[in-house]
Amino acid sequence: MPKQSRRDFFKISAALTAVTAGVTSTKIKAESKDYIPDKAMGVLIDTTVCIGCRKCEWACKVAHDMPTAPLESYDNRTVFNEMRRPDHTALTVINEFPGKELDRFPIDVKYQCMHCNTPACVSACIVKAFHKHPNGTVTWDGSKCIGCRYCMVACPFQIPAFEFDKAIEPDIKKCDFCFERTKIGMLPACVEICPNEVLTYGKREDLINIAHNRIEIDPDKYENHVYGEFEVGGTSWLYLAGKKMPELGMPDLPRATAPGVSESIQHGLFAYFVPPLALYAVLGGVMWINKNRKNSETEE
Amino acid sequence: MKKNLLIISFLLFSSAIVFGQNKKVPVDHAQVKGLTCKTCHACDIPTKENPCLINCPRDLMVTIYQKPKDAPAEIIINKVRNGKDLYSPAKFTHLAHSEMAEMSGGCVSCHHYNPPGEVIPCSNCHSETRKRDDISKPDLQGAFHRLCNDCHRGWSGKNDCNACHTLNAKNTGNTKQPIVSSNKSKGHPVIKTPETIKYETPKANKGKLVNFAHSQHINTFGLDCQSCHKDETCIKCHDQRDKSKAKPATFTQKHKNCLACHDTNNTSKCTMCHANEVKEVGFNHKARTGFDLSKFHSKLTCVRCHTTKGKFTGKNSKCSSCHGAWDQTNFNHSKAGLKFDETHAEFECESCHKDAVYNKPDCSDCHDDKSYPKDKPGKLVR
Repeated sequence: MPKQSRRDFFKISAALTAVTAGVTSTKIKAESKDYIPDKAMGVLIDTTVCIGCRKCEWACKVAHDMPTAPLESYDNRTVFNEMRRPDHTALTVINEFPGKELDRFPIDVKYQCMHCNTPACVSACIVKAFHKHPNGTVTWDGSKCIGCRYCMVACPFQIPAFEFDKAIEPDIKKCDFCFERTKIGMLPACVEICPNEVLTYGKREDLINIAHNRIEIDPDKYENHVYGEFEVGGTSWLYLAGKKMPELGMPDLPRATAPGVSESIQHGLFAYFVPPLALYAVLGGVMWINKNRKNSETEE
Repeated sequence: MKKNLLIISFLLFSSAIVFGQNKKVPVDHAQVKGLTCKTCHACDIPTKENPCLINCPRDLMVTIYQKPKDAPAEIIINKVRNGKDLYSPAKFTHLAHSEMAEMSGGCVSCHHYNPPGEVIPCSNCHSETRKRDDISKPDLQGAFHRLCNDCHRGWSGKNDCNACHTLNAKNTGNTKQPIVSSNKSKGHPVIKTPETIKYETPKANKGKLVNFAHSQHINTFGLDCQSCHKDETCIKCHDQRDKSKAKPATFTQKHKNCLACHDTNNTSKCTMCHANEVKEVGFNHKARTGFDLSKFHSKLTCVRCHTTKGKFTGKNSKCSSCHGAWDQTNFNHSKAGLKFDETHAEFECESCHKDAVYNKPDCSDCHDDKSYPKDKPGKLVR
């Protein structure tokens, strides 16, 4: 072993730290690899034309073979008296909020999985049960899932729902963007049934342009913000509204993706195995110094 | 000769064809006033294949007008092709709706984009199917429902599908055959114009009541409904929403319609309309403006002088304000009630009438001992 001076040791460890830091920072800036602009589809929800008829809730359940009340019962508007969330019995729900001014129409807002460009659930899942498809869809695979429910904790929109009432083979339930339908060229069930075409299905890039165009044409009607364009790195589902979305039951989220931060720290810790080696080197150095010290003590 | 006749008859026949065709072919829209190519087209040279139309130019729309009676009374809306037929087609009472639209925006309320010429079907722009290439405008189903809900949501307070559709039997297990809504195709009942409307104005300092002479504003001042009821929607009368929480109207909003003619911002004039008890309303031109109509102008309608509709200012009591310049050649003095004798017939008006309003004449320029009305320069004719 070549003799290493104390100065050399500090030099090496400082260099290693710099490399680690550099790797970490570049990772944070990197674009999501899951988002493919040419293929990514999306849905633009224009809440200003939603009348809260809840036909989407019914169509969603029918399309996913979930038990549902008859269609007529969806005319019942008393459900709006309390806030609801998508759960394992309903993958999408509508909530109603007071209008922009008190004498204006109420604002109805549909909730479902946002199908993030960089999904936190995909990142958090330790068995790769979640998958981000090129068309933007985020799906869940029951054959891989071990039921750890990390996805539920990771999701910034708190969408994945667990069938707590099932003792045997409980599933994670969330909107799958009607993956089986869109695969064969059909529209998502909710988009197809919406009488007012509140939901517009198309390429995400096109939808963003359309959304900004609508704001430009009618700036009094819309809040100048397309929710989901940048939130947590962008989402497939986008919202237009007359109020700020955090006032309409959606979380106020930063532009940075949740996995972007956590993954860059986690991956940075092991990047090219340099940081662990550096750690070993530090520990080895400490051992070596201590050993030398002991040797010199015994010699004396 | 025969040949000539043949040619003439051929010419007549062909011109008749051309004329007939001209009636069907839309008016050449490039010649419509106030339109430039850029109003509707994005590119410099639009072609039939690529008209490069601007995305829904709602504000600059070009449109047509048709009398409600000329349009179909009822339309069954069955063009929408959107997967499941959950509901039966709606029967749309076009006559009733177009008559209601007459009270506010007119045909444009729904036919928001229509080049001059014939009424184009909505499906020209709005796709009959939801899955389509151009997603920048709503599909036909979305476009229809948005229009319906604009009013129906407001005035009935609910927007359940059953208001216009019946649920198709196959979806409910209901054995009843699907039926089409049986709304009778009748127009909107005639709206009676009120004589007067009493407005309570508890906040006004100068009086708690305004007795608005509604019929007088129509009959005497020649205003038509649209002069005040401009952008009226159904909700104006049929609102069933809870208004108790609504913001009270501001001063400007309340006086908006009056302000077009009355100076509502002048606080010294509040009592013109506001009073503490019901005021007998009546318009006295002399008292209000200082110009007496009773003598020579009593039979005139307001618009004879106040030619701009809804505008009653800008005139003064000088004759020239309405009549233009007068001199002895173009003014028949007999109409004023006095026929001149030969001596006076040739004088300039200003020789006797020193003021611009042609009041009492002054004889002192020529006569020391005579004065009007004791002595007259002619004969009274009435």
